[in-house]
Amino acid sequence: MNAETNNTILLDHGAGGKASHALFSKMILPLFSNEYLDMGDDGAVYSVPAGRMAFSTDSYVVDPIFFNGGNIGDLAVNGTVNDIAMCGAIPLYISVGLIIEEGLPINDFQEIIKSMATAADRAGVKIVTGDTKVVPRGKADKIFINTSGVGMIPEGVNVSGSRALPGDKIILSGTMADHGIAILTAREGLTFDGDLKTDSAPLNHMVKMILSSGCEVHVLRDPTRGGVGTTLNEIASQSGVGMTLFEKDLPIKKPVNGVCELLGFDPLYIANEGKLLAIVPEKQASKVLDLIKADTFGKNAAIIGEVTDQRPGKVFLETAIGGQRLVDMLTGEQLPRIC
Amino acid sequence: MGLTYLEKFRDPSLAKNLVTAIHKESRLTLRLMEVCGTHTMAIFRHGIRNILPETITLLSGPGCPVCVTAQKDIDAFVAVSRQPDVIVTTFGDLMRVPGSGTTLAGQKGAGADVRMVYSVFDAVTIARQNPEKQVVFCAVGFETTIPTIAAAVLMAAKEKVTNFSIYGANKLTPPALAALMTTPGVSIDGFILPGHVSVITGVDAYRSVFETHKVPSVITGFEPIDILHAVLMLVRQNESGVPALENAYPRAVRESGNPKAREVMHQVFTVGDAAWRGIGLIKNSGMELKPDFKAFDAGAQFELNLTDVAEPKGCACGEILMGLKTPVACALYKKVCTPMTPVGPCMVSSEGACAAYYNYG
Ligand code: SF4
Ligand code: SF4
Repeated sequence: MNAETNNTILLDHGAGGKASHALFSKMILPLFSNEYLDMGDDGAVYSVPAGRMAFSTDSYVVDPIFFNGGNIGDLAVNGTVNDIAMCGAIPLYISVGLIIEEGLPINDFQEIIKSMATAADRAGVKIVTGDTKVVPRGKADKIFINTSGVGMIPEGVNVSGSRALPGDKIILSGTMADHGIAILTAREGLTFDGDLKTDSAPLNHMVKMILSSGCEVHVLRDPTRGGVGTTLNEIASQSGVGMTLFEKDLPIKKPVNGVCELLGFDPLYIANEGKLLAIVPEKQASKVLDLIKADTFGKNAAIIGEVTDQRPGKVFLETAIGGQRLVDMLTGEQLPRIC
Repeated sequence: MGLTYLEKFRDPSLAKNLVTAIHKESRLTLRLMEVCGTHTMAIFRHGIRNILPETITLLSGPGCPVCVTAQKDIDAFVAVSRQPDVIVTTFGDLMRVPGSGTTLAGQKGAGADVRMVYSVFDAVTIARQNPEKQVVFCAVGFETTIPTIAAAVLMAAKEKVTNFSIYGANKLTPPALAALMTTPGVSIDGFILPGHVSVITGVDAYRSVFETHKVPSVITGFEPIDILHAVLMLVRQNESGVPALENAYPRAVRESGNPKAREVMHQVFTVGDAAWRGIGLIKNSGMELKPDFKAFDAGAQFELNLTDVAEPKGCACGEILMGLKTPVACALYKKVCTPMTPVGPCMVSSEGACAAYYNYG
């Protein structure tokens, strides 16, 4: 065996034979191990408490697969954990589908699944079933990951994008655009001063804390692709309400803002992976804000705007200098300006 | 205190003072044109239009390099991307501009090797890494970008990177202003002149246009305070009846600009005529590779068989770029033409007037 075949993923690893078995039992299982997965059956069998369930799936095809502050693995776990949490649910079990391109270095693979295991631990969810496929070189881009998950919704909780009411306050749990800018700079090999790191993080503990405090919450949503601007537009049209944001209150890190300025990007449209938007009745806004701020991932939270009955379906921004402008949905990918 | 340099140019109380002064002093009805697309975007992003008095109308000018790229040039970029063994490199914005058939983004989707770069030097690097391919850079942009493109050509020449070339569609700003002023129907009471361009050209470059047409002109930067300050200066010039060419951006722009950058630019390029989308041919407003650098001219390398094509029917980009119309007055605006289904470049470019109206309306 030459060095190449020793150190990279081969088609054999996905063929269902010895190599597949070794990959699973030697590399994956020890990291993901739990009573359900260890059973080794085709699917997971588990019991759930009575009540309402949330179910979500997402596929991760990010390029590059490693970036400052994380990799495709923890992103895939956190992403699904957050999607379930945004339904007001407590995530319990997730599944993992790995599609690997032949030739992926084993070390990279190992690092990715290691961070998946760590992320699952941190979120307190179990990876109970999964699947691995290897496709020929060129048929995938290094590695694609699908994660699906289920969670239980505590009694009395009822959050939905259609429940925002005029008078509600809009809370953002931290600085905007960190993830998108980290990916962009990693992908393009751009070097800037300052620490540009993804914010990828599990938000389920934060959500649990908010919901168990007894505070009323109308909407929870994580502003991933399309950023805060697009997400709020979706909620505004789902709920048939207007929104006003205040530029002076929008949290953003200086270096992130600097890159946005330079490239002509609007941070309101750049992806986040560890932030949530909470829309809550005015009288509870400061309490919810304090709860979020008490969480590890919510230190820079701020009330960024309010829900109105003006111009339903539209989001406006009051600029720092007192002007006003529309914040529309993002159309297409933002492209850097020419000079 | 504690304001950083940038925050000072966004300081709400400073802005308020400027806005109050503009409201107090502005009596005449004024049509002011921001020439540069980055100004257009900043004006919309900071919500400047709706804090100005009704006396002032802001018009977007021919200062977005994407918007003014002639359809024929876009067609040429697309045609190059269809050639075998070619990598087309371009700045992001250009990807979505419709040619007569398709866009560079469409070509990429269809399998052509089209790559977005952040700097022309990245294109040279790609050429070095792919010696078996021809790497063509779509050269659009004004005085701001031309010196860098020239520097890249010089570097490629020095290092004998022979598989790198540019397809040139670069343009100069002052000739466009002069052309505007002699176009029938155009009425402009003041120019907000581009900050980035002027860093290279200096104040001097606008002197002859100013002397001929006596339009109040102020060079300024891209922060809200810069823009409001320029508007106030233009109001004052108009109210006092004394037009002037002023520099409100001295922190970046010198009288003579950046002679070194211009030297590099003229070492590689010579002035020629250029076709502006929606406007037509403007004499001496373009840049051509000098004979010594013809080896880097992509246009000479490929048989592209381009035919002259009409610009899309109904698109009012030209009139918009000349301040004759606003986007809402275009029959296609928001109906047929949206950022998802753009008809004209003004709707595609992140600096385009139609896109600004659409996104920030
Ligand atoms: S090229 Fe420079 S001057 Fe021209 S529109 Fe863009 S930013 Fe403005
Ligand atoms: S709205 Fe579209 S068609 Fe009309 S001028 Fe603008 S870009 Fe052209």
